[in-house]
Amino acid sequence: MDFSSVLSGFAVAFEPQNLLFCLIGVTVGMLIGVLPGLGPAATIAILLPITYSLEPTAAVIMLAGIFYGAQYGGTITSVLLRMPGEASTVVTALDGHALARRGEAGPALGVAAIASFIGGTASILLLTFIAPALAGVALAFGPAEYTVLALIGIFLVGTLGSGSLWKSAAAAALGLLIATVGLDPLLGTPRFTFGTDQLADGIDFTIVAMGLFGVGEILYNLEHRDRPQPRVPAFGRAIPGRMHWLRSRMAILRGSVTGFVLGILPGGGATMSSLVSYAVEKRVAKDPSRFGKGAIEGVAGPESANNAAATSSFIPLLTLGIPANATMAVLFGALMLQGITPGPGLMNDHPDVFWGVVNSMYVGNLLLLALSIPLIGVFVRMLKVRPGVLAPLTVVITMLGVYSIRNNAFDMLLVVGLGLLGYGMRKLGFEPGPFVLAFVLGSLLEASFRRSMRLFGGDVTEFVQRPVSGVLVAVLVLTVVVVPLLRGVRARQSAAAARVTAE
Amino acid sequence: MSGAVMAEPASEAPQEETFEEARPGGRVQAVVAGALPVAIGAFAAWLAFGLRIGSLTDPGPGLWPLIVAGLLVACGVGITVVAATAKAHAPNGTEAFTRGTTAVLCAAGALAVYASLFEVVGFEAPTLLLLFAWLRFLGRESWPSSAVIAVVATAAAYALFILGLGVPLPHLIAL
Repeated sequence: MDFSSVLSGFAVAFEPQNLLFCLIGVTVGMLIGVLPGLGPAATIAILLPITYSLEPTAAVIMLAGIFYGAQYGGTITSVLLRMPGEASTVVTALDGHALARRGEAGPALGVAAIASFIGGTASILLLTFIAPALAGVALAFGPAEYTVLALIGIFLVGTLGSGSLWKSAAAAALGLLIATVGLDPLLGTPRFTFGTDQLADGIDFTIVAMGLFGVGEILYNLEHRDRPQPRVPAFGRAIPGRMHWLRSRMAILRGSVTGFVLGILPGGGATMSSLVSYAVEKRVAKDPSRFGKGAIEGVAGPESANNAAATSSFIPLLTLGIPANATMAVLFGALMLQGITPGPGLMNDHPDVFWGVVNSMYVGNLLLLALSIPLIGVFVRMLKVRPGVLAPLTVVITMLGVYSIRNNAFDMLLVVGLGLLGYGMRKLGFEPGPFVLAFVLGSLLEASFRRSMRLFGGDVTEFVQRPVSGVLVAVLVLTVVVVPLLRGVRARQSAAAARVTAE
Repeated sequence: MSGAVMAEPASEAPQEETFEEARPGGRVQAVVAGALPVAIGAFAAWLAFGLRIGSLTDPGPGLWPLIVAGLLVACGVGITVVAATAKAHAPNGTEAFTRGTTAVLCAAGALAVYASLFEVVGFEAPTLLLLFAWLRFLGRESWPSSAVIAVVATAAAYALFILGLGVPLPHLIAL
């Protein structure tokens, strides 16, 4: 591995401008992590047009900071209010809130912050060694390999999401269909444009992300806008004692590994790994009955896991050009907007962007560790801002941002339409995640599929016969077997979570 | 992401009268959730036939959309079958539409009007009106606070997008 580019990445990460954007990113991330409603994918989507004028490295450093910062922020409301700001911190609420009720909210938050820091940092270290190897392998990939790879990505994101398999697949198919709007990628024939020039270039990814995640989530939250205001318990000093630390250290270690491995899997990500880590901790504990009543391992394990996973989920995006989850799909769009194609070539073509972003995560995690504890009080007070005020402001930023992409009012109408689609999908039980991911991968999948078909003379079995794509097909088949097992684990954990929180 | 909020016990936070929890939708809604993909897929497949399909050796522009549309129809049929054969009150992943749905539709309508007015009369007046109406009627803020927040936010948007980022938003007030 080329260590000089890793080191020069540190120089990039420590440039004052990049430090500033890293700070902005993690602070915004923590904030939206605390606020239920807008998730990191929506926030990043809404901010895309604003990052357009930034330098690429600074833009991606900031957006990445929002993503992993949200994992820290979500913990705070989970522990204090049993009101997870993020799905990945739902499981933390079980034991975290039980600890808070016993008056140990401070130590719980302290352990969570340290666990998050260790999980995140360990994951960056592993990424530094694994990503170059993976990118090296991927450089040899042809259209057949990319076809299967994109299929694996879409399949995993569809099946690992919550909800019905049929609906995830339907959402993915709709995403693939919307991706075909515009000119045919190989022949230039207009498709599904309904005779308007506005659709000839296809639908911009930013518009899909802002519509489905941004406007869609705002509309969805509008329906239940009169949420009761929570009351915040006292939390005292966020410093864990010796006992807490002794109990959590092994959990943090196991959580970091679990998170790193599951984060690389498309669709795995932070939520999945926090649930799996909780299950593991409960299994290895000498006295599993403590879980749900305030076991500190139940906070430490999942928190290290979700941060490790958040970091390692960058690997497939940065080395293969395949986003592993919805937020990575939006970051994919952010890179494309900057004229950078994520994929195996990224590390060689833009080493400053690659290593600058990766190394900025050390800085970001350090900032989060330093900031999260003193700022808990401030963030909790932010919860008092009424959603009725926040929503219209977000909507105006979104709409003006959309207009600024192409200076085109038609795009604003498209965003409103896609926002309604996102709302309708949520009401009918379809997840927007597989849709957006399939949309991102749509043109890659179609182009590689058609190139492979020409190459193979129309023989579909060639996908299995070629060595590399054959292995990938085997992986695809394997996932079909493994996924139901993972879904089983998660279903049990979610059921446990529902029982405890409904007490 | 969102929607992960868990219900607080009523003793800790008094519920407002207007608060409505999300309720699961009925069987009809679950069947509609399957019928819609079938309809969209069938329509797309019909359009794809209008393009050239070609063959696997020489794929035309219509082949890929046709495959995807077929997939969509198949999934829709799957959803419909599952929904139609499920027990009457089994959870089906859908959420019933509530009184709040009207507010959602009003908001979407307001945004569409906003987008259409935007290039005609500049961004200031529509932004001010949209913010005010949303704050007052959807957010149930008081008249004075709605007015103040709307004016301040419009001015801030002007400063951020036009002065700060140099975005050529259509505007009447030149600074």
